[in-house]
Amino acid sequence: MKSAFVSSFAHSAAGRLLLSTAAFITLAAAFFLLIGRSPWEMLSLLAQAAVGDGFALTESLVRATPILLCALATALPARLGLISVGAEGQLYFGALVGTGFVLSATAVAGPLQLPSMLLAGMAGGAAWALVPTLLRTRLQINETISTLLINYVAALLVTWVVYGPWKNPASQGWPATAEFPENARLATYFDSRVHAGLWIGMAIAVVAHMILTRTRWGLGLDVLRSNPRAGVLAGLRFDRHALAVMLLGGALAGLAGIAETSTVQGRLQASFSNGAGFSGFLVAWLARNHCLRIVPMAFLVGALLAAGDGMQMLAQVPSSVTLVAQGLLFVAVLGTNGMLDRGAR
Amino acid sequence: MTAFDIVTSGFLISALRSATPLTFALVGETLTQRTGVINLGLEGQLLVGAMCAYAMTAAWGNPWLGLVAGAIAGMALSAVHAALVVGTRANQFASGLAVWMLGFGLSAYYGSSLVGRKIESFESIVPKSVADLPVLGSVIAGLTPTVVLAVLIVPVSALWLWRTRTGLRWRAVGESPEDARAAGANPSLIRIQAILLGGLLSGLGGAALSVDYTRTWAEGMSAGRGLVAVGLVIVARWNPWWTFPAALLFGGAEALSLRLQTADANVSAHLLHCLPYVASLAILTLTYVRGRVSSAPAGLRAVMDR
Repeated sequence: MKSAFVSSFAHSAAGRLLLSTAAFITLAAAFFLLIGRSPWEMLSLLAQAAVGDGFALTESLVRATPILLCALATALPARLGLISVGAEGQLYFGALVGTGFVLSATAVAGPLQLPSMLLAGMAGGAAWALVPTLLRTRLQINETISTLLINYVAALLVTWVVYGPWKNPASQGWPATAEFPENARLATYFDSRVHAGLWIGMAIAVVAHMILTRTRWGLGLDVLRSNPRAGVLAGLRFDRHALAVMLLGGALAGLAGIAETSTVQGRLQASFSNGAGFSGFLVAWLARNHCLRIVPMAFLVGALLAAGDGMQMLAQVPSSVTLVAQGLLFVAVLGTNGMLDRGAR
Repeated sequence: MTAFDIVTSGFLISALRSATPLTFALVGETLTQRTGVINLGLEGQLLVGAMCAYAMTAAWGNPWLGLVAGAIAGMALSAVHAALVVGTRANQFASGLAVWMLGFGLSAYYGSSLVGRKIESFESIVPKSVADLPVLGSVIAGLTPTVVLAVLIVPVSALWLWRTRTGLRWRAVGESPEDARAAGANPSLIRIQAILLGGLLSGLGGAALSVDYTRTWAEGMSAGRGLVAVGLVIVARWNPWWTFPAALLFGGAEALSLRLQTADANVSAHLLHCLPYVASLAILTLTYVRGRVSSAPAGLRAVMDR
């Protein structure tokens, strides 16, 4: 009786979170011991660097914003059973198209400039998702492999325009495009770099959750994922649904890219993403593709990564220590859930 | 510089040298996938292999020690994939990405002190008298031990997979774990061995990359080679014999992009760097268009097509 209770708790969302956290802290503590530091000291410094004061907190929110959108961009295709790792490339291409729009369509100024720039960025992200989608629906080419490969192409295209045709001759330091005009920036809050993309992402998470759980369309995705044959018999078309979730996901990642570029960085730069697309993939898995749970998970991972710079100062360790922690977090979550699911089988 | 000069003046050896790290990774992943396991963590294994090999070579001045260290590091990291995929039955794609993230982080962390350090590495194995020969000399002058090892690993792994009892058992596990178990094999054990062997070879590939090919260490230096390898396994139709031409395709694309940069300053280097990825994706697409993927191990199709 008691063991049944323990088992059902362990399999609940809260139980999984608790066990995953315990596994992560164990792994992270082992790593800190390995590099000769006290785990307790390092974990408390990590927390301090992530959320210790107002500045740390807002920087964590800034880092979490593109991760949140990219996690949603991963979760949507995952509801159909597609494992897309393309958010990184879609983010770059969205930033590229959005920046191109601002640089070229100078006639569009005033209040129209911001929404049309965001739309251009979303269109860019969606366009970048189109190729792997068609490869999957027409030729059965595995979408995980194709999205991973074209990520590199999108990032290199951004590097190309930044060093080449769109380079701002007046820019000091690293090559970059011209600065975005004031009209083409999202609102910022708390006297910090926290911007409107954060609540836009949270609103999208809520809307996506409603659509996925409350509509016929969302139910169709569940059917096609869990029982493709039944879905087809019920008249659902896999290719149309795939196109919809992949393009919508691409648009969200594109939005993440153009919001980050226009508002946080202020101009397009090479390798600006800091792996937000891949962190978004991790967050979607942490939340098991549940759009509402993605929000706190995105903040958790964003805070962990944002703590990197602080750790360099507080603990004199390279900032990449948080990249190790991110990898360990993913391993802990997969291992915990794998073991729980295996027990359930 | 004419098109002919671009191809002849050392092009072949550059393609071969660029294909070398990829060949190790590709052969390793082919053997892993033959048992029905896909490992995207290859990218992270290349990175820890490259970093450990570079650190070892810098510390001891012996590139051979570097190769050994890289292979061990790659294998150690692949044990994480083995534990997650075989031990807890985690999703193979997600586990591979976790291993990649972990490998990226670990190599960046431990490699931060190696940035900018110089090493003594392999010299060409071709004697000066041969290297001075007119045509042949320019083709083989740059041969180093890792290139030779890569060329040798292809027939060795192919003969092992197709002609030995263990090779047969590995293939059987990839086709049908149930039948293999009925025939007395232990599918879980064989898959663990296959993942570890893939890790060993990709670590060796990473070592060849940093110690011999680029002769530097930089964060994230594998630049997608591991992911390209996962795609090229399909192009090579899970046959070790075909891994070499597939790797040469990537090597050729990379060598060509480097050649074009030196030949014509008008083409952007960054644009040309796209070439290997685009070429890999294009040839992968062509493989599917021509319906050549039916040779996939049945156990693997279940993972990839879902």
